[in-house]
Amino acid sequence: MTDQVDHQVTIEDLAELMKRSAGVSVDPLILEEEAGSGWDTFGLDSLGLLGIVAELEKRHGTGLPEQMERCTTPEEFLAVVNGALAKGA
Amino acid sequence: MNRRVAVTGVGVVAPGGIGIPQFWDLLSNGRTATRRISLFDPVGLRSQIAAECDFEPSAHGLDHETTQRCDRYVQFALVAATEAVRDAELDLERTDPWRAGASLGSAVGGTTRLEHDYVLVSANGARWDVDERRAEPSLHRAFTPSTLASAVAEEFGVHGPVQTVSTGCTSGLDAVGYAYHSISEGRVDVCLAGAADSPISPITMACFDAIKATSPNNDDAAHASRPFDAHRDGFVMGEGAAVLVLEELEHARARGARAYCEIAGYATYGNAYHMTGLTKEGLEMSRAIDGALAQARLDGRDIDYVNAHGSGTKQNDRHETAAVKRSLGEHAYATPMSSIKSMVGHSLGAIGSIEVAACVLALSHQVIPPTANYETPDPECDLDYVPRVARERSLRHVLSVGSGFGGFQSAVVLTGPEGRRQ
Amino acid sequence: MSSQSRRRNAVVTGLGVVTPHGIGTDVFWKTVKEGGSSLAPVGKEGCEHLPLRIAGEVRDFDADALIEGTFLVQTDRFTHFAMAAAQLALNDAGFGRADIDSPYSVGVFTAASSGGGEFGQRELQKLWGQGPRHVGPYQSIAWFYAASTGQISIRNGFKGPCGVVAGDEAGGLDALAHATQAVRRGTDTVVVGATEAPLAPYSIVCQLAYPELSRSDDPQRAYRPFTTAACGFVPAEGGAMLVVEEERAARERGAEPRATVTGHGATFTGASRWEDSRAGLARAISTALAEADCRPEDVDVVFADALGVPEADQAEALALTDALGPHARRVPVTAPKTGTGRAYCAAPVLDVATAVLAMEYGVIPPTPNVFDTCHHIDLVVGRARPTELRTALVLSRGLMGFNSALVLRQGSVPSPE
Repeated sequence: MTDQVDHQVTIEDLAELMKRSAGVSVDPLILEEEAGSGWDTFGLDSLGLLGIVAELEKRHGTGLPEQMERCTTPEEFLAVVNGALAKGA
Repeated sequence: MNRRVAVTGVGVVAPGGIGIPQFWDLLSNGRTATRRISLFDPVGLRSQIAAECDFEPSAHGLDHETTQRCDRYVQFALVAATEAVRDAELDLERTDPWRAGASLGSAVGGTTRLEHDYVLVSANGARWDVDERRAEPSLHRAFTPSTLASAVAEEFGVHGPVQTVSTGCTSGLDAVGYAYHSISEGRVDVCLAGAADSPISPITMACFDAIKATSPNNDDAAHASRPFDAHRDGFVMGEGAAVLVLEELEHARARGARAYCEIAGYATYGNAYHMTGLTKEGLEMSRAIDGALAQARLDGRDIDYVNAHGSGTKQNDRHETAAVKRSLGEHAYATPMSSIKSMVGHSLGAIGSIEVAACVLALSHQVIPPTANYETPDPECDLDYVPRVARERSLRHVLSVGSGFGGFQSAVVLTGPEGRRQ
Repeated sequence: MSSQSRRRNAVVTGLGVVTPHGIGTDVFWKTVKEGGSSLAPVGKEGCEHLPLRIAGEVRDFDADALIEGTFLVQTDRFTHFAMAAAQLALNDAGFGRADIDSPYSVGVFTAASSGGGEFGQRELQKLWGQGPRHVGPYQSIAWFYAASTGQISIRNGFKGPCGVVAGDEAGGLDALAHATQAVRRGTDTVVVGATEAPLAPYSIVCQLAYPELSRSDDPQRAYRPFTTAACGFVPAEGGAMLVVEEERAARERGAEPRATVTGHGATFTGASRWEDSRAGLARAISTALAEADCRPEDVDVVFADALGVPEADQAEALALTDALGPHARRVPVTAPKTGTGRAYCAAPVLDVATAVLAMEYGVIPPTPNVFDTCHHIDLVVGRARPTELRTALVLSRGLMGFNSALVLRQGSVPSPE
């Protein structure tokens, strides 16, 4: 692993993951603007969220806290995932 | 046409109980058959536990040729059907074979064999352009789910309408429901109705791992299936089969057969909500319950026992509790409701028929099987779940419900001799 | 059947097809009527080396243009076909959201035999190649046979009776029978049919053990039922979905009945026992005609099962004689599926769609790639045959021993008192 910046998941990464893992197309700018809204605003369901978490776990080679699947908004999700990655979860 | 439909025979292959006496002994004593998976090495899986059948085909009269030709789930069905036909003292040669049908359910069919051969032809998942020369000769039978109904029909000389029903985890209830319709509406006089699944394989375990639907309680397998308990954490995979002999009531009477009970009503609806998700309100399941009750010309207050889907996932048990309350009203609180999945696990498509078989036996013995492992009440699940110990009770009408991936919501009402309307 | 259930007629109001000939009934019918064939060498990645050479593939199917991304990622190709065909059928029927009285009045029923094979193979490869954590969250809902019914129900908000039969070929007609029965029991509308996508490499490997599978490498000769050159059947992908409605409900929203499903019969005579299928198919036909209140001579056209295996073709020709008597030699028989291949459960559903179109256009489409027959039937070959058609009989048999027959009448049929 390199420096900590590589461990951060950005809003762009999340938008890309939403498309790839869940088939949800969302403009990163809009995702950022409405990051406090529920996942259903963007059409993401519980299975899609599970797929995104699994993909992140594979990419970072590490398990992530179960709590992530209960995050209800992109904002909360990014805070939890980046917190966990920063701690070297 | 609205003919009455009797259950005249039952056969079961369930974890911890192959054959009716063993199955009922397990249920009525509240024993559990869940354990660490032994059918393959589950290392690396999130959920490493299941309810497995200790099944030795030759001990149940299956010869080598049948074992080679038929997958495990088909073998289960053949053994269960043999027991049911014997139990019904049904001589199919003395019945018009064109008026005898078969309706067998399975959620995943030959998946286990498909995976087994896939590993061979793909060199352990290394190649997309698989090598057909490594496939086993009966692979096409695993690929074709109608094999299930075909094998059972062939074994018993059935020549009427035959079908494999595959509505996910309600397959076993729907197979009974379709058979009920085919008799009550006059298309057949006798129908072998049931379901079978043997899904304990890496791909099926892994796909439920991926959505965290199965229990990760690997350290306490015997107590891992905890329907309605506050600490429930998912379902425990199972396997097995059950087959009933359903018969038009007059047909059964004419040959002097004993009728255990009648199938009095059946209904199914889609929830059009989510492939795996369930609402908190349970509207669509309630609709199915209401439909089955209406067909049986009964009211929710007539139900003496609810055999729950009770898978042990957070959302299912909550959903189902809400649905039963919606349909039975205040009477729901006075109605025992239990889940045998606490003991025999969740055998996907098979379990619906195994649960109907349990209802038939409950009516016959006037005993309600318990919900094993139920310790801690959940405020969202506030009905009487018959904790841990079977209960004697006068039973006239019982309800069995099911819920499946794809949004299927089904309900069957059974009426015992005490409740038979004249 | 009781007089009470008689009063609720199940009529066809919409057709949606996804086929090797093309997508939608216009392009499909054009090729069918001309007797065109879309059988071709298998072109799928990873299949080049397999001993199945010829198949009916659906080309030019743009799933991205027809189905939302959130559905696409969680479904196999067979469900893409089903969702697209269902939408085409609903459009064809002019059935929109405003036509739904109650969500519980619209059901979905499909038949499926090969499931989500391509999706399943991908996930198996991840599991065995990389480990269990690489299996995605959609495997549990994409591979199983119920996927299409569930997704069509969810996409459209249909909460009526939903079901699935996992039959082989004959299951397609059985699904239509289930839909008809649901209508008679009280459901207003059922979206019903079957689609298959059995041409992924591992799915093909699974089919190679069928003794009935054609291994010919010549698209013109691979599937020639009822001839001395019959050498098996050619598998295909695609299928059809139909909108079946209770007649009065259809008329109330201004839709004209295009055909009525009047009779069905199903029997079982054992896997690959083709000689025995003669009695089974004859019995199924007689049952279907009796339910339809039809005499044998009322049948204006037969859409044959046409397996392409000599014993099976012989059994079918004899079954027609057994069930229809002298009329069997006069009634035109056709098998347009020799131009598309057999898409398992979907094959007879596509035949039903073709039968509805044939009755509307007053034309019997021919049997592609077949020029004569060695059986005593009037097989329509070469050119389409214009004629008035009021009653069609559609036949299907499954490799595992199922026989089914369905009777369709053009337009609506007055209920007997």
